[in-house]
Formats: sequence, structure tokens, C-alpha cells
Amino acid sequence: MIELKNIEVMFGDFKALNDINVDVRDGEFFTFLGPSGCGKTTTLRTITGFIKPSKGRVISNGRDITDVDIEKRQIGIVFQSYALFPTMTVYDNIAYGLKIKKFKKYVIDKKVRDIAARVDLSDEQLKKAVSQLSGGQQQRVAIARALVTDPDIICMDEPLSNLDAKLRVQLRNELKKMQKDFGITTIYVTHDQEEALTLSDRIAVFNKGCIEQIGTPNEIYNHSKTEFVCNFIGDINLLSEEAVQKMNEAGANLDVHDHNYIRLERAHVDVEPKAGDVVFDGTVLSTEYYGLYIKYHVDLGSMQIKIIEKNDGVRIYDEGQKVKVLMNPRDVMSYHPKEGKKS
Amino acid sequence: MKNKGDRKFRLNGNTILTLAGAAVYLFFFLGFMIRPCINTLTSIFTAVPDDPLAVVKFFLSGNMKEYVWNSFKLAIALVITVNFVGISIVLLTEYFDIKGAKILRLGYMTTMIYSGVALVTGYMFLYSNDGILTKMILDTFPSFNPSWFSGYKAVLFTMTFACTSNHMLFLRNAIRGIDYNTVEAARNMGANPFKVLTTVVFPTLVPTLFSLTVMTFVTGLCAMSAPQLLGYNAINPEIVRLAGSSRADEAFPQARAALLSVILALFTMIVLAVLSAYERRGHYLSVSKTKAKLQKQKITNPFWNAVMHIYAYVLFIIYMTPVVMIILFSFQNYPAIRMKTLDLKNWTLINYFGQEDYSYLTNRNVYKTRVGAVSGLFSNEATLGGIKLSFIMSALGAFLACIVVVIACEYIFKHINKKRAVALEYSLLFPWLLPTILICYSYRSFFNQEVWYVGNQNLYYGEKVRILIVLAYMVVKLPFSLRMIKAAFYTIDEELEDAAKNLGSGKLMTFLKVKLPIILPSVLAVFALNFNALFTEYDMSATFASTYGTTYAMVIQAMCRDEGLYGYNVNASGRRCASTVFIMIVSGIILYLVYGVGSRDLSERLAAKEKRRKRLQKLRMRFVRQ
Repeated sequence: MIELKNIEVMFGDFKALNDINVDVRDGEFFTFLGPSGCGKTTTLRTITGFIKPSKGRVISNGRDITDVDIEKRQIGIVFQSYALFPTMTVYDNIAYGLKIKKFKKYVIDKKVRDIAARVDLSDEQLKKAVSQLSGGQQQRVAIARALVTDPDIICMDEPLSNLDAKLRVQLRNELKKMQKDFGITTIYVTHDQEEALTLSDRIAVFNKGCIEQIGTPNEIYNHSKTEFVCNFIGDINLLSEEAVQKMNEAGANLDVHDHNYIRLERAHVDVEPKAGDVVFDGTVLSTEYYGLYIKYHVDLGSMQIKIIEKNDGVRIYDEGQKVKVLMNPRDVMSYHPKEGKKS
Repeated sequence: MKNKGDRKFRLNGNTILTLAGAAVYLFFFLGFMIRPCINTLTSIFTAVPDDPLAVVKFFLSGNMKEYVWNSFKLAIALVITVNFVGISIVLLTEYFDIKGAKILRLGYMTTMIYSGVALVTGYMFLYSNDGILTKMILDTFPSFNPSWFSGYKAVLFTMTFACTSNHMLFLRNAIRGIDYNTVEAARNMGANPFKVLTTVVFPTLVPTLFSLTVMTFVTGLCAMSAPQLLGYNAINPEIVRLAGSSRADEAFPQARAALLSVILALFTMIVLAVLSAYERRGHYLSVSKTKAKLQKQKITNPFWNAVMHIYAYVLFIIYMTPVVMIILFSFQNYPAIRMKTLDLKNWTLINYFGQEDYSYLTNRNVYKTRVGAVSGLFSNEATLGGIKLSFIMSALGAFLACIVVVIACEYIFKHINKKRAVALEYSLLFPWLLPTILICYSYRSFFNQEVWYVGNQNLYYGEKVRILIVLAYMVVKLPFSLRMIKAAFYTIDEELEDAAKNLGSGKLMTFLKVKLPIILPSVLAVFALNFNALFTEYDMSATFASTYGTTYAMVIQAMCRDEGLYGYNVNASGRRCASTVFIMIVSGIILYLVYGVGSRDLSERLAAKEKRRKRLQKLRMRFVRQ
């Protein structure tokens, strides 16, 4: 559907993107994930045509669009701020692209009303100023405006980042549903790991202008290829050499010189050990109560570990309480300390 | 952002347009800003061919220094008095809980619709030797000096109350922007209201006050109408006098006028440099996450509460008396105005509309009748001509300034942080460094000859002077327009342009359909404010001093001079009052359109439209039922 081949972007002497290779499939929800300044938005803007790469090609449906003008690329965009025209009504915002393309008035009207209905905007709302709509409704207008010209792909640049936590979760679900309904190839930019994991078919994790890993949410989370991805995608514990040695003594084959990590939910407190589990003695240092789950900070002597346990209302541990901590070496992710790649 | 791949120079339509624009701009910048001013500067040293420093020597040895000192003295005094009154009126209406604050505010804001020559003549109408108030005092105290309202004190008094508009605009906004939580926090920590005012509120106002102080100082330095009408030897009136003087009457008057304008420019530059250096130090920024609206502070001490109330209403009376008197007397006939008595029997509209003949007794004891010697504002040819000319020239000047600045801002924001954009911005701010009088004087002296780059025309000759005045209007309004319109450009979300581009919109279409509607309220506001200021301006047209450029303010000023002379202009005072009322109405409408209607956003406009529709529907229903 859309392919980036060896893309390089320079801003003066600064190399913003280095050898970016991505192949987004038809109908896929593909996410660019990474911290601020990693190059994800630059990549998106290269696809949409706002930035011209100094090297590499952008291919859409087999057509090289690297030098094609922005408006001729057939790519819709939903901006971070939605970029709705404040001096136009909702109707005029959606109709803007069609008017530019000089569609007949009745065609514009039909297309606008059709798309509005599909994104759940009423006729009454079409007459309103965009400032009179809620955040969620504004997002729908932005999506309708991007889709009304029948683009091949839709690009979304952190469209949920300006919203409060509750609305973000609600709109995230709506967004996913809309994408499935329209079946349109979507490229989504975010720095929010949870958003990326819940929405995407595949994720590209960016770091310092390069892609560290491309994969499904499960591959990214459970089989992180690099130390950066492993650390960035979720909270994690770095195991001490002593803890690793203890695991090796119990039959594991881990390199103590590697950086060995275990995710918070893979360590457990005071449960029945399963085959291969290694048991450590620990003391609860503090607890964070989240309702659905509880996070414990436990002192294992050689290291402190964070553990997440489901809140069953029965097994709740207090500060200072002695506990048994269980970890299975098969859940440990090891990375070469210099290269940061999986050992 | 652009990358290396985009750096190649290509000659396409856009480049040609940019180069043509740059050429036109350079022509105007060099031809109408730089060249005339250089001419003024060089004229100082070329007045006496054998002695380049003759004019400077003359300045140092003669009494010219007095004009500079007088202007300087006035500027310093004004800084103190205007700040005192300005801060007082803002605190009284916005910070302290004073009964009737809304009415007080309206009174204090009258100077926004009533300034310049109109205001000065209004004060003269009240306080001059035949003024209403002077007459009242003389009736009670016959030994009172009837000429008490003239010279330095009169200028200082008038300008003190005339120059507080900026305080009501900017200081009021600054005080309204204070987070009330900071006041509450200080009170919570034991500070009394006075301590809160001095330690929490006042420091946040300092940057605004500093700017206001500089603005007031420059206004005092460049004062024109008040010193001229009230008889005070300041720089500007002297420049105008010298510019119109002949070499036969005194030594190199034009060169002396040029020297005075350059001295004025130097002062202005120094003051603005100080302001600029201060502004670069940065401003206080509120760090509040959720700002609380400022609550008015009750003055708990009954004595001080009474004192503050009395003070507030005394100021209100000072502000309102000229306005009320002028409105009332604009509807009185000329004998009533001459006697300064208000009577319903003397009620008339003659100062506004219509004409009357006037009979008077001559020295030879015979009655003579002057046909049409009493005429209304809209029937008097000279006044009407002044209004028309001022209307057209100020509208043109304000419009051109806005157009130039909008185009320049579009370019500046497209090339932000690039040297050429910075250069363009500074060149537009250039007239800010020069006093208005220097620009006008330079135009008058330089273009009063055939100039090759304007087609060998003498632009000061005949009706062509109007082109010069419009150009001068435009040039002096460029810095203000730039500051205001640039701020509006900052509010445009960059992503809007990207969104429009993505939807297929070209550069021009994006500008016209997306960006312009966003900045339009601000542009219209700037246009209206520019127009308002230019419509009643006096300083510039007085400097040009051409019969073909007799503006409305000059006509008003002339009314003070020619009243009743040989049976002409019998009701000049009445017409002057009517003129002032007319100016207040025009300014009031403009300010309402700018800050009332113009500041509404789309949702408010749609709501108003819906309201109108429902009202119309209701009316229709009623009509159908009948």
C-alpha cells in the first residue's frame, strides 16, 4: 500500500531520519511509536509530502510519490490540533477539500452529509461553528474532513494527545471502530505506548531517527528486539547480577553480563510456584493501590523490584511484610549491554 | 521546515512575484522613508554653504534651546501626572470596590472617543478666558485672572487627562490578567490590602507601566495641538512655524526646523532604545494552571473609603464636564454660547444643519447682514470639505497601512527567523523611531521640488499634497499596525495551513479562505483604530500646512481663531461643539464595531444570526395571523 525505501531527511546538518524502511499493508492500522523528537512525525510528514527526503523514495500503490505535490498524493490527514478552520462551520470544514476540487454543489452536499452520517454528526451539528463542538465531535469532523475526498490512506498525528484521560480512552475505541468500518489504511503517530498497543495491527518503534523494531503489539511487547524497545514499551525491572546468578543456579542459562529484564506482571508475590519458577525472599517497601491491581515495591536484598498483582481483595500485603517473590527465567529478556540488541 | 534538497534557486512564478514585491517595497522604503529624512538631515549642514555648523551654532547660542527644554519639561511632568491619574482611574475601576464603578469607567474612557484638537478645544471652551467655568469663577471672584488657563499649566492639565486612554486600555488589561489566587495567597499569609497592592499586584504591572511611561514621554515630547492652542513654546509647534517661515524674516528657518526635528528624533530613539532593552529582559509570566478572576477589594477603613470615593468622583467630574457641556452647548444658539448660558429656549440644531443670515451693527452705526454667516456642521462648506478630505485620506492611509502589513506579515511568517524577514520587519518598524513631525516635515521639504523617482513631479504642489499626506499617514501607522497584526498572525495554528494544503488549496486560496478570516477581526480593528486616530489628527496636516490638505482637525482649529470676525463664522464655537459631538459619535461607532461586533467569533455570530431568524419568524407569524 505505502512503502518507504531508505528514507533519509536532513534538517541543515542534523540527520532527522536515517534509513527508514516501512511497508504498510492495505487496510492496516499502522502506528509510529516513539519518544518526542525521535522522527515519527517527520516520517509522517515525509509520507504526506510536507517534507521532501534528501534520500529514498515514497511509494504508494506502486506509484513513486516522492516528488508528487501534497494535494495530489491522495492522503488524508488528521492533525494533532485537528486544524479545523475556526471561521467556518462544520459543514464548510468538511466541504472545503471538495470545493477546492471544484465538485458540483449537489455532489458536495451529498458527500458531506454521507460522511457526516457515517461519523455520527447530525445535520444540526453541521450548521454549528467548530468551537461549539466537544473534543470528541471535533475529532469526528477532522476525520470526516480527511475522508470525504476518498483518500487512499489516512494519516493521524497524535490526534488524542490534547484530550483528557477519560475522553482519550473513549475516542480511542471510536477511532478503532471507525477505521474498521471504513477499512482505510491508517498511519497513526503517537508517543503513548498503551494507545499504540490497543489500536494497532502493527507498530514501528522509533528512536533517534531510526526504526528499532516493526511488529505486532505482541511482538513489540513480549519479544522486544532491542533494549530501547523493551524499556520504552512498558515499565520493567532490571535484574541484578545476584538475582540472575540465583536463576542460573536454579537451572537457567542467562548471561550475567547482559542487561536482563523482567516485566512487572511476570513477577509474582506469594503464589504457588510453577515449574521453573525461582523463589526470592523479599520485604514489601511500599504499595500503590490502583483498584484493579496493586503495585508492590519489594526489596530483594540485591535489588528492588516492582510487581503488579491483580487485586483479588484477599492477598494484600502491607509495608514491611515479608513475602516470597517468584520469577521464571523464561520471562527474562536479555540484551547485549553495548549493542542493546537481543542476546 | 525545509531541508537541504530545497535550497536550489529556481526562477518560477513565485520567485518573480517575490522579486517584484521586494523591488516595490525597496522603492517605497528608500524613496519615502529614507531619502526624505536624509534630505532633512543634510539640510541642517548645507543651509550656510561656508559654514556647515552654522545652524548648530545658532541653536546653541540662540533661544532655540528653550523649545527643547520646554518639551522635555512637559514630557517629564506628564510622565508623573499621567501615570498618577492613569493608575488611579484603573485602580478605582478595576481593583478597589468603588460604588458606581461602571459609570466611572465610562467617564474615564471618554478620552478614547474624544482626543486631540477636539479635546483641547473642549477644554478651552470650559476653561479659557471666556470659558464657562472661568466665567462662573469670575462671577464669584471678579479679581480672578481670566487668562489662568494658558501656557504650561494648561497644557499639562489638558494633556494629563487626554493621555490616560492607554492606561485604560493596557493597564486595565494587565490588572485584569492578575491571578486572584496570588492576592488570596498574600492575604492568607497576613498581608493587608495595601501591602498586597504594593508587593503582589503592583510588581506585575511594572512592565506595562514602563511601556506606558515611555509612550507618555514620547507623547509629551512630540505634543502639538495642546501647546499650539494653549500657547506654550514646545518643539513641534515651533517646527511647524519655522517650516512655514521665510528666509527673508529670519535666519535659515527650514534648516532650524530640520535641526529641531532631528533633535526630537534623537530623543525618541534614545527613549525607545531604553524601552526595547527593558522589554528584552522579559516579562512576568503567570504560572497559574487555573487563573482566578480578580475580585474587587473593599477598602475597610471608612475614612479612606470616603476619600477614595470622593477622589474617584472628582476625577469623573473633570473627565465628564467638558463632554457634557460640549454636547449641551452644541444644541444652543450662538448668543447662548457667547453668554455661556444654558436655556431650553435657545435650543437649536443650527450648529449641525442649515444656514442663517447674521445682522450686526457696524462702526458706522448701520446694520449689515452677512448671508449664511451662521451655518451648521453639515452645511458649512469648509467644515464639510474638511470632514470629506479627512475621511478619504484617513481611510486610504489606514487601509494602505493594513494592506502593506498583512502582506509583510504573510512573508515574515513564511520566512520566520530568516535575515530577509527580520530586515523587512525592522524596516516597517523604522518610522517608530522617528517623530511624526520629522517624517511630515521631511516630506514637505523634500517633495517640494521635482523628484526624479516620482516622475519629476512636485508632490507638495497643489492637490498632489494629498498623496503625500496619505503616504505619510500610511508610513506613521506602519509600526502600530505591524505590532497588532503580527500578534494576530501568531494565533494562526500552523497546522491549519498544512490542512488546507493537504486538501488541495493553493497558497492564495489558503490565505484568502483560511488565514485571512482568522486575522480579519484584528485587521479590521487596526484599520478602525488607525482611521480613528487619523480622522482627527492635527499634527501631521498642520506640518504640511497646505490649503489643499486642510483636514477636519485644521478646520476645527481654525474655528477657534476666526470666530465672528467681521460677521463671518458667527457660530464657530457652536459648530466646534457639534464637530466634537460628531467626532465622538464616529469614534464611538468605530470602537463599538471593533470591540463589540468585530470581536465576536463564528459561534457568537451564528448565535446572533439564529436569534435574528427566530425574531423574524415571530414577526412573520404575527403578520400572518393579522
